[in-house]
Amino acid sequence: MADKEAVVYIIDVGESMADCHNGRVESDLDFSMRYVWDKISTTVAANRKTWTVGVVGLGTDETDNPPHHEGLQGYHHISILQEISAISMSSLRDLRGKIQPSSTSGGDAISAIVVASNMIEVYTKKLKYNRKIFLVTNGDIPVDDTEESIEDVANRLNELGIELVVIGVDFDDPDYGFKEEDKHAIKAHNEATFQNLVGKCNNAVYGTMAQAVEELSIPRLKSVRPFKAYDGLLTLGDPEKYENALTIYVERYFKTKRAPPPSGSIVVNRSEFAGPSQLTQDEDVEMGGTGLSGVQQVRNYKVNDPDAPGGKRDVEFSDLEKGYQYGRTVVPFSESDFSVIKLETKKQFSIVGFVPFSSYDPFLNMGETGIVVAQRQNDESELALSALIRALHELESYAVARYVQKDGNQPQLFLLKPNPGIDDSFECLYDVPLPFAEDVRTYQFPPLDKVLTVTGHVLREHRLLPTDDLNRAMSDYVDAMDLSKFGADDEGNPAEYAPIDESYNPVIHRMNQAIRTRAVHPDEPIGPPAEILLRFSKPPPKLLDKAKSEIQSLIELADIKKVPAKAKGKRYKKDTVKPLSGLDIDALLGNNPRKTISKDNAIPEFKQALATASDDATVESAVKQMGEIVKKLIQESFADLQYPRAAENLRVMREELINIEMPALYNKFLTSLKSNILSGALDGDRREMWFKHIIGGKLSLITSDESEVSGVTSDVVNEFAR
Amino acid sequence: MAWGGDEDRRSEEEQEEELDEADYKTQKDAVLFAIDVSSSMLQPPPASTEKRADKDSAVTAALKCAYQIMQQRIIAQPKDMMGILLFGTEKSKFRDETSSRSGSGYPHCYLLTDLDVPAAEDVKRLKELVEEDGDDLEEILVPSTEPALMSNVLFCANQVFTTNAANFGSRRLFIITDNDSPHAGDKNAKSSAAVRAKDLYDLGVVIELFPISRGGKKFDVAKFYDDIIYRDPAAEAGVSDEVKASKSGDGLTLLNSLISNINSKQTPKRAYFSNLGFELAPGLTISVNGYIPLHRQTPARTCYVWLGGEQAQLAQSETTKIDGSARTVEKSEVRKAYKFGGEYIYFNPEEAKDLKKMGGKGLRIIGFKPLSQLPMWASVKKSIFIFPSEQDYVGSTRVFSALWQKLMKDQKMGLAWFIARDNANPILVAVLPSQPPDETHFLPAGLWLFPLPFADDVRSVDITNGPRATDDLTDGMREVVKLLQLPKGFYNPAKYPNPSLQWHYRIVQAMALEEDIPERPEDATVPKYKQMEKRVGEYLAGWKAELAVKAKGLMQSKATKREFDDDADERPVKRSKSAPAAKKPSGSMNNAQLKAAIEQDTLKKLTVAELKDLLASKGISTTGKKADLLEKVEQWVEENA
Repeated sequence: MADKEAVVYIIDVGESMADCHNGRVESDLDFSMRYVWDKISTTVAANRKTWTVGVVGLGTDETDNPPHHEGLQGYHHISILQEISAISMSSLRDLRGKIQPSSTSGGDAISAIVVASNMIEVYTKKLKYNRKIFLVTNGDIPVDDTEESIEDVANRLNELGIELVVIGVDFDDPDYGFKEEDKHAIKAHNEATFQNLVGKCNNAVYGTMAQAVEELSIPRLKSVRPFKAYDGLLTLGDPEKYENALTIYVERYFKTKRAPPPSGSIVVNRSEFAGPSQLTQDEDVEMGGTGLSGVQQVRNYKVNDPDAPGGKRDVEFSDLEKGYQYGRTVVPFSESDFSVIKLETKKQFSIVGFVPFSSYDPFLNMGETGIVVAQRQNDESELALSALIRALHELESYAVARYVQKDGNQPQLFLLKPNPGIDDSFECLYDVPLPFAEDVRTYQFPPLDKVLTVTGHVLREHRLLPTDDLNRAMSDYVDAMDLSKFGADDEGNPAEYAPIDESYNPVIHRMNQAIRTRAVHPDEPIGPPAEILLRFSKPPPKLLDKAKSEIQSLIELADIKKVPAKAKGKRYKKDTVKPLSGLDIDALLGNNPRKTISKDNAIPEFKQALATASDDATVESAVKQMGEIVKKLIQESFADLQYPRAAENLRVMREELINIEMPALYNKFLTSLKSNILSGALDGDRREMWFKHIIGGKLSLITSDESEVSGVTSDVVNEFAR
Repeated sequence: MAWGGDEDRRSEEEQEEELDEADYKTQKDAVLFAIDVSSSMLQPPPASTEKRADKDSAVTAALKCAYQIMQQRIIAQPKDMMGILLFGTEKSKFRDETSSRSGSGYPHCYLLTDLDVPAAEDVKRLKELVEEDGDDLEEILVPSTEPALMSNVLFCANQVFTTNAANFGSRRLFIITDNDSPHAGDKNAKSSAAVRAKDLYDLGVVIELFPISRGGKKFDVAKFYDDIIYRDPAAEAGVSDEVKASKSGDGLTLLNSLISNINSKQTPKRAYFSNLGFELAPGLTISVNGYIPLHRQTPARTCYVWLGGEQAQLAQSETTKIDGSARTVEKSEVRKAYKFGGEYIYFNPEEAKDLKKMGGKGLRIIGFKPLSQLPMWASVKKSIFIFPSEQDYVGSTRVFSALWQKLMKDQKMGLAWFIARDNANPILVAVLPSQPPDETHFLPAGLWLFPLPFADDVRSVDITNGPRATDDLTDGMREVVKLLQLPKGFYNPAKYPNPSLQWHYRIVQAMALEEDIPERPEDATVPKYKQMEKRVGEYLAGWKAELAVKAKGLMQSKATKREFDDDADERPVKRSKSAPAAKKPSGSMNNAQLKAAIEQDTLKKLTVAELKDLLASKGISTTGKKADLLEKVEQWVEENA
């Protein structure tokens, strides 16, 4: 739950705001609105009822504000364009129409602030709110500069607890490093007045628009309130059984939690499919609910039934029970069974033992980090946890602990790492989840620093191993590309490049930015992603420049050869494959090579027939026989039982014919198979074989991309797949 | 069943990731065990009085091993197939046809369990066969007088794979035998076995040999098996093909030795991605394969069961999407839209595709940093293991090796931009080296892609530390840490099976086999309290006393300080005396203060906003009226303070 918010934007729409200044091709208003729209649309995106927005126009042709209606002087050309309220897409659309440059050059910015603060006072009463006023102007209209008024307004803002943000187009800002030359006197005077006001406020900011707009591309992080995942004891030993057990009251929060990108809803565009005339994609689809409608998911359930057509029939959901699968056996579970299957556990955080730092590798981490601190205001626990953290740090040890978040939750094992608070001045434990026995898959890989031969010899020099020269070149390169001091901190001192707090999730911010742009400017194209999001997608060019010679010598010594695309697969005249002993199997068969292909042993026999074929006729004959087998398998299949096997035969046939560059044979056969299947000639409805196994299994026609001699384009294939 | 609250609210990204994982699993695996049933394989081990001595014949050990692996696979690889073929048996059986003589197509081959996803009956049958006093009622384990022809065994396996696992990405035949020369002196039999083995190779079946050696006799693969075993085409270059013989001895039973040998090859090596471009520098790209050696195993989801037939049957679900007017929507019609200010924001398909584009898939080095610059809290999800492949770029292995050696030697890490597949979301990863396996490091040597959190993923936790421990307290705690090291000084996951997962499958198995609900098994994750008490109990008692003294001292000094502060406050500014006493309770109260506030009924003096802060700080929902909020606070205090 975030705090409530009431924000009023005062936007200068006076006639000079329509002009372009300082070489911009954008009017001052458009320039300013980049900033304002971004702010407002961020609020809309948050979709919070308690985040409210009001808008006041300054320099409007009309006048519409309470003080003026009450007959007070000095409130001309100020209009409330929107009262403070939660903001939706439709109010955003309304606003867009209202924010237009006027043809007046009147309206006092200080009065506008009074109007805005009145609005906030009325709306928020005495409740807990974040109150804020933004004033956006180019400072061309003279303002009320009497010291008395400034004093009054500042006092009022302070009294009401309102933060004031004044952002001016081409206002001078030495901090940012901007100064407008030939500034006209009125503007210079106004700037001084605003600065005076800001100086008198408890909470106020003064800035120039260029900086504000520039900073728009820096992603804003969504702040999330710390979530307390655990509040209770961290124990060493069992306090219920042994009085010597150590108990520490601790609290655990999330330290990292993956932030999800904006999630879309599945919708269907009704207008797109309204009539036959609208088959093509409609480019400017309306947003705002007019053309889109939500989609619901409906589940149907089927069971196998040999008597039913197609071997399956529908069953009612109400006739189903829940259960689990044990291998291919299904086990129905009643309500009471479900209570048994859940392991009974008690909330717990208990140390299992300790391990040295050196025994643990970070890639064993299974997920997000938590942070463990002692309960506040609890001296004994604070001292005890502090002692544990310090002891662990001094001994370079981690603790392993069993963690059950709540009664009934599944137990987890955590690694607890001590943070002695040397760099960041607070002591805590960080925890990461550890893998269980079942989570580790034992994969074996050959060693990287030696080669073992079949006979068991160890080789230290081999084409798979780096030479000393290559090792040296790699070492020089890695050292040259060092980032540890390549960045700069706020003061410009060397600092780590690309630390975590500067790396933003490109997907989240790209999506958010695109959604906001589309909402504010529905007709404009979505621009490219902000540069800051892709900053770390490539090495920094400056560093590359510096490391040029190291890179060059590494490339030379690495001597990498790209394998040409065509040579990747097996070749036509491939080496005969031999078992470990090197026995020549073909020679064993030599006297009577296999000519006929049997259904039972189709794949090996087909491969062997092609491998020994010396003319096209033999290949054609083999393909023909294989084709017959495929058809027979489909024809004789009970329901879909033999489809996978038929598909596998097809896959081998396809692959082999690509390898020997005779794709036409496959394409010809597949065309005839298609008509056989679709005409029902293979004993009934075999469309599942076609769509699921052949088209879905990527066994369609061989294209010229896969085999140059094919002559079939992907368009033809798409058509063929229908 | 709700499996923990958090997992139910799964974000879209996780679902997307799950899809990847599912794709990755379409690479299905089928394993057929072929177990030699000869008289030597059936011979019981020499009688021994030793407690840990072997009690199993080789056949029993092999079957027990198969039994254990079958159960394991049901949990870890629920979609994968397994089968058991016995050979050299007097009886012959292949699917429906049975014959006591050689009438079968595959004489002396007995297909005990057909290749399939195991069913409860398969597990049950195997269990009966291996149980200590289990009778071999059907007299299956009787050796034939004449040996089985290996060519028959291999062709039988060929047929089993061809029909049952036609399109599986991984198909393997595990041969368990103690006979290194089945056809000594029969050249023809040897040749035809070699031909059938080539058939299996062409079919794409990999043969793994698990030889059993006994009495110190070496199992000589050159005599026969080198003619039927091929180099695994999927294996990395430079891998050795050495086969390890299982044997009893050195405190290890034959069963354990066999299980460890088979387990090391049991999980098919599935790549998460293959031949991904790894750009070390502009102009220098090598190719790597990616693997996921660590993956959180969770119980299968519930399914729906139809009980209307003779047997309980799985109901397969199909989803269709319908729009407001109940019309079925085709996949090509649906679009993604984003809720914004109460309405939908929509991108046309080209734009949507464009928005996702952040460059093509690949791994690109940005630069290098010392390992010490990896913050200890920087963890978000599991890492991916990468290993070089020579497929796209010849020379990848040596360059990869050079990088690995450099990073190992200088304790450095790479920083890289990583997109696993087309359309995958980009992440930044640390490229970390792993050392060759030894007693305390069980993972392979290579490089790991360690996902780094983005700034968006880091929560700010506002912490102010209280008092820090004194040196003597710290020194005391050091002794405890030293005394309670885990065995061998490292965390060995193999020692900690997941208690929830094990219990889940134990229950499902018991229900499937219609057995009694088992006793609660030992939970290895529970700390060894008794041992701890013995080692540090007394010591801790002393330490705790010391702690209490220190804490008390601290409280007193604080109290004095407060008095002093109060005094100091009062002198310059005249304040009403009642001010400190009437202090309202606030969000930063500790449990004792909260309790007191409830007892004195001062809690209701808090404003709604303050109550909400208080609740939020305890991680409790902050919805409801003031009365509800008060009740929530009271309830929390009752339960926790």
